[in-house]
Amino acid sequence: MSQLRKDPIVGRWTIIATERARRPAAFVDPQSTISDQKDCPFCHDKTSPILFESHGVKVVNSNTPILNDSKPFECRRHGLYEIAHSYGSHEIVIETPVHTANMADLLPEQIGRVFETYALRMKTHRQNPSIEYILAYKNYGVAAGSRNIGHSRSQIMAVPVSPVRVEDKINGAKAYFDIHERCLFCDIISQELKKKERVVVENEHFMVITPFASRFPFETWIIPKHHQCDFAEGIKGYERPLADMMKDILLRFKIGLNDPAYNYMIQTSPVKGPSAFKDYYHWHIEVIPRLTRVAGFERGTGFYICPIPPEMTAAFLREVDINA
Amino acid sequence: MPELRRDPVVGRWVIIDSDHTKGPMDFTKEDNTPTRQAICPFCPGREYQTPPEVGAVRPFNTPANTPGWMVRTIPNKFPVLSSDGILQKDGLGIYDQMTGVGAHEVLIECPDHDKGLTDLTKEEMLAVVNQYQERFRKLSMDSRFKYIVIFKNFGASAGATVEHTHSQIIALPMVPKTVLEELKGAQDYHHTHSHCVFCDIIAQEYVDKERIVLENSSFLAFCPYAPRYAFETWIIPKGHNGDFAVEDHTAQDHLAQILQDVLKKIKKALRNPAYNYYLHTSPIGYGKSACYHWHIEIIPKLTRSVGFEWGTGLHIVPTFPKDAAQYLREA
Repeated sequence: MSQLRKDPIVGRWTIIATERARRPAAFVDPQSTISDQKDCPFCHDKTSPILFESHGVKVVNSNTPILNDSKPFECRRHGLYEIAHSYGSHEIVIETPVHTANMADLLPEQIGRVFETYALRMKTHRQNPSIEYILAYKNYGVAAGSRNIGHSRSQIMAVPVSPVRVEDKINGAKAYFDIHERCLFCDIISQELKKKERVVVENEHFMVITPFASRFPFETWIIPKHHQCDFAEGIKGYERPLADMMKDILLRFKIGLNDPAYNYMIQTSPVKGPSAFKDYYHWHIEVIPRLTRVAGFERGTGFYICPIPPEMTAAFLREVDINA
Repeated sequence: MPELRRDPVVGRWVIIDSDHTKGPMDFTKEDNTPTRQAICPFCPGREYQTPPEVGAVRPFNTPANTPGWMVRTIPNKFPVLSSDGILQKDGLGIYDQMTGVGAHEVLIECPDHDKGLTDLTKEEMLAVVNQYQERFRKLSMDSRFKYIVIFKNFGASAGATVEHTHSQIIALPMVPKTVLEELKGAQDYHHTHSHCVFCDIIAQEYVDKERIVLENSSFLAFCPYAPRYAFETWIIPKGHNGDFAVEDHTAQDHLAQILQDVLKKIKKALRNPAYNYYLHTSPIGYGKSACYHWHIEIIPKLTRSVGFEWGTGLHIVPTFPKDAAQYLREA
């Protein structure tokens, strides 16, 4: 019989298939990232103004921005609907001067510099009083929504509204804190460290788990072991151990799942008053290979069907030999 | 200039990407025409290959599990939830889990392997809607279930794995999150305004007119003001009703008609895209709730969600709903 599991943070139930669970090897989904360096806009573009540059990491404005700050942010009503001019910024982080497609193949020092860059850009954006949330994320591979350019990059989006997924997490964490006066994420960490059945890899400062109520096969989270609500502050001095964990998990995906498309999203606290969230929010990164398609049931209910238990994916990922 | 718009029911913001808007021809075309499969277990004559039917629209003189049916409902051979077993809840430290009790049925919409919903006659389409309601009512009587979802995946990129035209029904032992959020939004609105938010949306759509796709005497089809997806279209009863199960024969007839007409328009305007639709109604036992208003959401599968949408729940939509509605009206 399958299991229903509830995510302790946002209260979302997931169906975990157990009996007819697909074997880990059934998910292998190779990417065709053959793309020529001579057409790569990130190798050759000299025109975009550089917003930031350090040690081979470059930040430029997206040339197809979804948000821009050319007009001040203003909210108005249209009958019962609310509308605002889109406001914010949309930047591309070019992670390396070398034409390399997958972050898994970068040196850990370089990945660390990418995280340092995220933190610096976040600190810059949050000085703008209209910005409510800043998301740093990556789309790798066509199935994850990326154009097939073959040059490792990520994106930073600063938005003037509070996004629902973030609010859900904040609300869940606050409700837990109100009862227990402890951080829910810290409690998840201590529970996961007891049996370790969902722990893929860990170091002194971070752990990588497959969450109890995973929405997707091989969904993983990187969580700092020490309580810290804000990525930009919390990462200071820990860029390298985080980069080690990121490289490790991305290599496990690349080798174990045959170079799948993936997304990662840094789930940090909202801009407004990290002081308000500092006791109960705990930043983390969701890293999700795109191996299945979201169908009508998931879209209609927000209820996910995960075709393999997270204990099984954690065991599979632990056994991948990343030094091969 | 791109716009941010807020959904009045659940308060979710979306971004309408007006700087790179897309018309129907700007999305990648997919081939979703059925290929004749050698062995399709949903075709007539192979009824023995499926689990025994739990419902059907068929002439009285044809026995169950034989050809002659117009619509046939069978338990899913590979159910995600199992209908036998008791509901058992457990706590594992901070985690909650329960046994996967529920029902998972497949509703085969037509015997002909080469036909889709848009090819059905009026009578055949009505039989599909009738069967939706009949199965919904039957499953509602099981006290273990709290919510029933009727949905359809058409085309591989929308998650369909069998090409013979079919819908699915899943009965759940809890109310799913998306529905809870809509219910809560509707309740909060009702609390403040003493009106149904969906009835007010309908009223406003008549004022604005530009997002209306189609209507008949019972239903309105429109592209919502703050959609999550390009060409997202809702079908909603014009009269206030929270419960799909109580719609009468006339309403079913009108629903069959408008649903098929909207699907025909989507097929024509967007070149036979993959799509999903699902029915949102009140949880079992809510009865005629004053706040909720059942409806169908139809979502053509035209774009992929990217990390930004997964990370924030903030969707980026490349087509203005008024333009989508116009393309569909004119299709």
